[in-house]
Amino acid sequence: MAKRDSQVVDVRARAEATRARVPQDVMGILSGQEVTLRQMIRQTVGRHHVTIQYPEQRKPYSRRFRGVHVLTQRQDGSLKCTACYLCETVCPAECITIEAKEVSAPGIEKGPARYEIDLSRCIFCGLCVEACPEEALIMSREYDLTARSRGPESLRYGIKELTERPEIAAYGSGFRPHMQYPLVESYLPLTARPAAAAQPPAKRSKRR
Amino acid sequence: MPLVTVDGQQIEVEPGATIIQAADRLGVEIPRFCYHPDLRPEGNCRMCLVQVEGFARLVVACATPVTDGMVVSSPHTSAETAEAVQGVLEFLLINHPLDCPICDQAGECSLQDFYMHPDYGLHTSQVDVVEKVRKRKRIELGPRIVLDSERCVMCSRCVRFSADISGLAELQFIHRGNRVELIAFEDRALEDPYAGNLADLCPVGALTSRDFRFRRRVWHLAHTDSVCAGCSTGCNLRIDHAENRIERLVPRRNPAVNSSWICDEGRLSYLRANGPDRLSQPLLSGGEEVAWPDGIRHAQELLATDDASGTRPLLALASASATNESLLLFKHLVTRAFPHHRLDFRLSQETDLVGARQDHLLRRWDKHPNTMGAFYLGFSEQPGGLDDYLQAAEAGDCVALVLLYYPPLVGDELPPVAAALARLLELCPHSVVLTTHRLPYLKGASLSLPVAAWAEEEGTYTNYQGTVQHSAKATEPPGAAREATAVLADLLHTFTNHRPSTAPEVLFAELEHTVAAYRGLDYQHLPSRLASVYPPEGRMHYGEEGFSGR
Ligand code: SF4
Ligand code: SF4
Ligand code: SF4
Ligand code: SF4
Ligand code: FES
Repeated sequence: MAKRDSQVVDVRARAEATRARVPQDVMGILSGQEVTLRQMIRQTVGRHHVTIQYPEQRKPYSRRFRGVHVLTQRQDGSLKCTACYLCETVCPAECITIEAKEVSAPGIEKGPARYEIDLSRCIFCGLCVEACPEEALIMSREYDLTARSRGPESLRYGIKELTERPEIAAYGSGFRPHMQYPLVESYLPLTARPAAAAQPPAKRSKRR
Repeated sequence: MPLVTVDGQQIEVEPGATIIQAADRLGVEIPRFCYHPDLRPEGNCRMCLVQVEGFARLVVACATPVTDGMVVSSPHTSAETAEAVQGVLEFLLINHPLDCPICDQAGECSLQDFYMHPDYGLHTSQVDVVEKVRKRKRIELGPRIVLDSERCVMCSRCVRFSADISGLAELQFIHRGNRVELIAFEDRALEDPYAGNLADLCPVGALTSRDFRFRRRVWHLAHTDSVCAGCSTGCNLRIDHAENRIERLVPRRNPAVNSSWICDEGRLSYLRANGPDRLSQPLLSGGEEVAWPDGIRHAQELLATDDASGTRPLLALASASATNESLLLFKHLVTRAFPHHRLDFRLSQETDLVGARQDHLLRRWDKHPNTMGAFYLGFSEQPGGLDDYLQAAEAGDCVALVLLYYPPLVGDELPPVAAALARLLELCPHSVVLTTHRLPYLKGASLSLPVAAWAEEEGTYTNYQGTVQHSAKATEPPGAAREATAVLADLLHTFTNHRPSTAPEVLFAELEHTVAAYRGLDYQHLPSRLASVYPPEGRMHYGEEGFSGR
């Protein structure tokens, strides 16, 4: 029964047509490579680099960049933070831990005995900085963080790490909700080289 | 009975009730500062203004009695009232420091709630910060209270409490106009043993608690309703806790027991449970810590040395700080496992002192929350008590001692009681002590088993009036300590091969079944007052003396 219904198909015409299309297909592939090839030539011959030699070279970021936090200080060096817990309350990652203490300076009643941000949990949303009524917590432009353990060398930064690390100054300050940023300056072209002075120091190998 | 309509809802209230009381019963929130249900009304803050149909102007809800057919509109529904309340708020905010970030009241502050309220809130101030009238801040009025007079809204609740409730009249206003200031004479320390209540009743952060100061923000606290175990009054309170630590105790209103107050000693009683000297592992007399199965096995060995002749009894003593449920299982253990026993709860003169007042307000001399419960459970059927036990032990008439002991949460154990307990443990050949703390006077125990303290276990206490109240579990016991009911159930299982349920509602149902006084009570509907109240029928006595009612 199957025999009676079978048909003979001539595939020669189809093969012929495919063969005729070969040059066209090769050209298609080559034109797809055009961008790649053009970039290859630009970057090898023309030395126009899109990537940079990280970590020797670093890109400068916007002045509103949300990097590692900084606890700001009063002129006498005491922390501005009043331990109001608003940052801890608003933090969606629940990574801020505060313990308050009584402060006896004139006009100041309360301050933090302990202030800790677990940066390995932080999502750098900046809500804590926006919640702070004292501008006691701002952000820096520090973005590269490493730690060797979850223990003592972890990314749980305490008061000391959030105020005194030299990296803070080197990276410069980032997001501060009450600051008016000059718009032009805040978006530096990505190709700009960081000035030598702004180069961050070599990453510390050990904290504490 | 006058019928009154508040915001479209109707309610019948007793003659003489005020508008604010009717609204409270309907669940309509009328903003208020000076009104407090347990203080004499004063009507000075004007925050509770409402509109009444037919009245020419707005009236204060806290001091206007309802009349039949009155139709009242609160600021939630009447624009005119809302505007008036906003005006009052504006006056209050003119000089308010808005210290909210460092103010312990933030989160439970009436002023904060009102100025953020969508219906009548107002959170703009026309006055620049530098022009505000400054007053004195951080004035320590003794060990309980810190005063910040800038934050005061002059509602005079504290003044009325001090004058009318504690009776010492230690607070007063001075000056006039926007310089009015609350003071204690020469900033002297408050002597009031109820001063802690000032922090609760102050609607703003002017009077705050020294003890709780800066410890936590209130929105991080979990709340558990419970009762105080500091004395036989059984004040209703709320346990505020976080991360398995009690952070503060605040009173809960119960007009039949404690109104809205608790004493300062009771307020701080949680410090003892939080303390570092808790027993957290079963402990042998040599100081060796053992695991629970070994602890239970040791207990079995120590107590199973029953006298061959059967003439010397096992002495069983449970302090009246145990819950009714623990006492019930304790009684089962003693009566079922040890045919020859004596059972008691009297360490001292609890039965005489249970109703005796220490002052005019709340405190009572009996520092056990459940003396009446132990009494109704028949722990004092024979004349006896600790002194009797001591005499028996001196005469060698004792085979072993089993003691369920909780140190008082208020004050220290009476020195004669502590000495008697130490001597008793010394005299008894074997002793098993279930307790919460490592106590110097219980050092002589052959075996100490750690049990949960107040607020770490669920149960009921029967206070001096015969009101059965529910004490809730807020935190977990430290280390390996377990609820006394669980330990007693283990012991019962070891001795009788039967393991009773430790669910408090099951144990309470058994109490209801077997103890006549508790007939008809329902665990789900506590507090309930017993039909027969203090002084109870039957004998409550100590030693050979008869019971002396007070
Ligand atoms: S940046 Fe966001 S996640 Fe990180 S600490 Fe602040 S609030 Fe928390
Ligand atoms: S919000 Fe600002 S002032 Fe408040 S606790 Fe955080 S850092 Fe301190
Ligand atoms: S009293 Fe209330 S409004 Fe005033 S500072 Fe304290 S929390 Fe803020
Ligand atoms: S201190 Fe508090 S309770 Fe006393 S008058 Fe001022 S606001 Fe009212
Ligand atoms: S609550 Fe009515 S006047 Fe203060």
